[in-house]
Amino acid sequence: MTTAVTSHADASMARFEAETTRYGSITMLAGLVFSLLGPVYLVFFSGLEITASMIWIAFAAVAATFGVFWLVEPLTYFPILGSAAMYQAFMIGNISNKLLPAAIVAQSSIKAKPGTRRGDLAAVMAIGGAATVHLTSLLIFVGLLGTWLVSMVPTEVIEVARLYILPSLMGAVLVQAIVSMRRLRSTIIAIALALLFQFLIIPAAPKVALFATALVVLLSIVLSWVLRDRKEIHTAVEAD
Amino acid sequence: MTHIRPSMANPASTDIWAVANSPFLWICALGVFAVIFVQTFLYIKAARRAAPHIDMPASELKESFRAGAVASIGPSLAVVLVAIALLALFGTPAVLVRIGLIGSASTETASASLAAISMGTVLGGPEYTQQVFAVAFMAMSLSGGMWMLSTLILTPILKRGGKKLAKTNPAIMALIPAAALLGAFSMLAIAELPKSNVHAITMFISAATMALCLFVAKKLELRWLKEWALGFAIIIAIVSAYFTHTA
Repeated sequence: MTTAVTSHADASMARFEAETTRYGSITMLAGLVFSLLGPVYLVFFSGLEITASMIWIAFAAVAATFGVFWLVEPLTYFPILGSAAMYQAFMIGNISNKLLPAAIVAQSSIKAKPGTRRGDLAAVMAIGGAATVHLTSLLIFVGLLGTWLVSMVPTEVIEVARLYILPSLMGAVLVQAIVSMRRLRSTIIAIALALLFQFLIIPAAPKVALFATALVVLLSIVLSWVLRDRKEIHTAVEAD
Repeated sequence: MTHIRPSMANPASTDIWAVANSPFLWICALGVFAVIFVQTFLYIKAARRAAPHIDMPASELKESFRAGAVASIGPSLAVVLVAIALLALFGTPAVLVRIGLIGSASTETASASLAAISMGTVLGGPEYTQQVFAVAFMAMSLSGGMWMLSTLILTPILKRGGKKLAKTNPAIMALIPAAALLGAFSMLAIAELPKSNVHAITMFISAATMALCLFVAKKLELRWLKEWALGFAIIIAIVSAYFTHTA
C-alpha cells in the first residue's frame, strides 16, 4: 500500500519536473531573445556607427570579470533551488537578495524542508509570488512613475539604500535561514567557514574573493556530511 | 543634443534618453515581463497539478505564494529605489530588464562600467555618448545572456547528477540544500562586516530585528509576523543606517 502511494507521488513529481523543465527552458529562451533584441536593434539598425570590434572588446572586458560567474552561480544555487526553480531564478534575477529569502520564508511558514517535495513546490510558489510583486512594483514605480520619482526622492535616500541594502537584508536572511533549517552543526560549520574565508584566506589571497561564496557552499556541504551526527541523520530523512 | 524623438540617433550625442527610451526598446522590455508572467502562470499550474499527489493541501500552496509575495516586498522596493537612481544612465527599458530583472544592480552597473572603460570613457562622463551607451547595453545583455545559456545547459546535467546521488545516498540529499543555503548566506552576510562600521552595525540590527520578530511570532503564535519579519528587518535596519550614516 505504502509503496503504491510512494510510486504514485514519485510519478506525479516526475511529471512536475518534466513540465517545469519544458516550460522553463522554452520561456527562458524566449526571455533570452527579448533581452538581446533591444541592444541588437540599437547596435545594428539605429545608425550609431558601432563596429564589431567595439562590441568584442567591451564583451571581453565584461567576460574577464564575470565569465567565471556564468558557470559558478548556476552551480552554487542548484542544490538550493532544485531544477524547476532554476529556470525561474536566472530569468527573474536578484536571486540571493530576493528570491531565496522569499523561498526560505515560504518553506518555514508551511514547515517544509528545502530539497523535499513539499519544499520544492513551496519554493516554486514563493518565487511565483515574489515575481508577481516584483514585476508589478517595477512596472508601476520604475516603468510608469520612474522619471517622475527621480525628481521626488532625495538623492541621500537613494544613496543610503544603495550602500546599505545588502547588510540590511543579509543579517535578517541569515537568521531566518538558521532558525528554519534547524541544523546546528551545519550552521556552525558554515559560519566558521565564512569567517575563515573573510578574515584569513581572502586577505592573504584577494583573488579568492571571486569564488568565496561558491567555495563556502561546497565546503559547507562536504564538512556537514563528514561531521554529521550519525544518529540524527536517520530521523532527518523524513518521508514528506 | 536637444532632440527628443527616438529616430534622432547620433553616435556623438550625449542625449542618452533619445535612444534609450525608444519605443522598440520598450516593446522588448515589456516582452521580457510578459515572458516571466507566462512562466509564473505555467509553473503555478504545474505545482497545483502535482500537489494533491504528494499530500500537499492547496492551502499550503496558497500560503507559500503569499509568503513569497510578502517577503519580497522589502527587497523589491529596494531594487526599485536603486533602479530609479540608474534611470539617467540607461533609460527606462534597459533599467527594467537589466537591473530590475535578469541581473542585479551591482553586476549590471559593473558590466556597463567595464564596457564604457573599454571605449575610453566612464558612465555618465562627458564622453558618455549614445554610441557608448549602446555598446554598454549590448555588453550587459550578452553577459546576462551567458548566465541564462549556462543555466539552460547546466540544469539538466545537474538534475541527472542529483538523481544518481539521491539513489545511491538518500541521506545526503536531505543535507545538501540546507548546508548549501547556510553556507551561501553565511558568506554573503559576513562579507558585509568589514566594509565599514555602519555596514556591520546595520547587519547586526537587521539580524536582531529578525530574531526578535521570529521569537515573538513563535511565543504569541502570530503567523503573519513570520511573513512580515523580513520587511520589518529591512526597514528598521535601513532607517538606522540612514541615521548612523548621516550622523
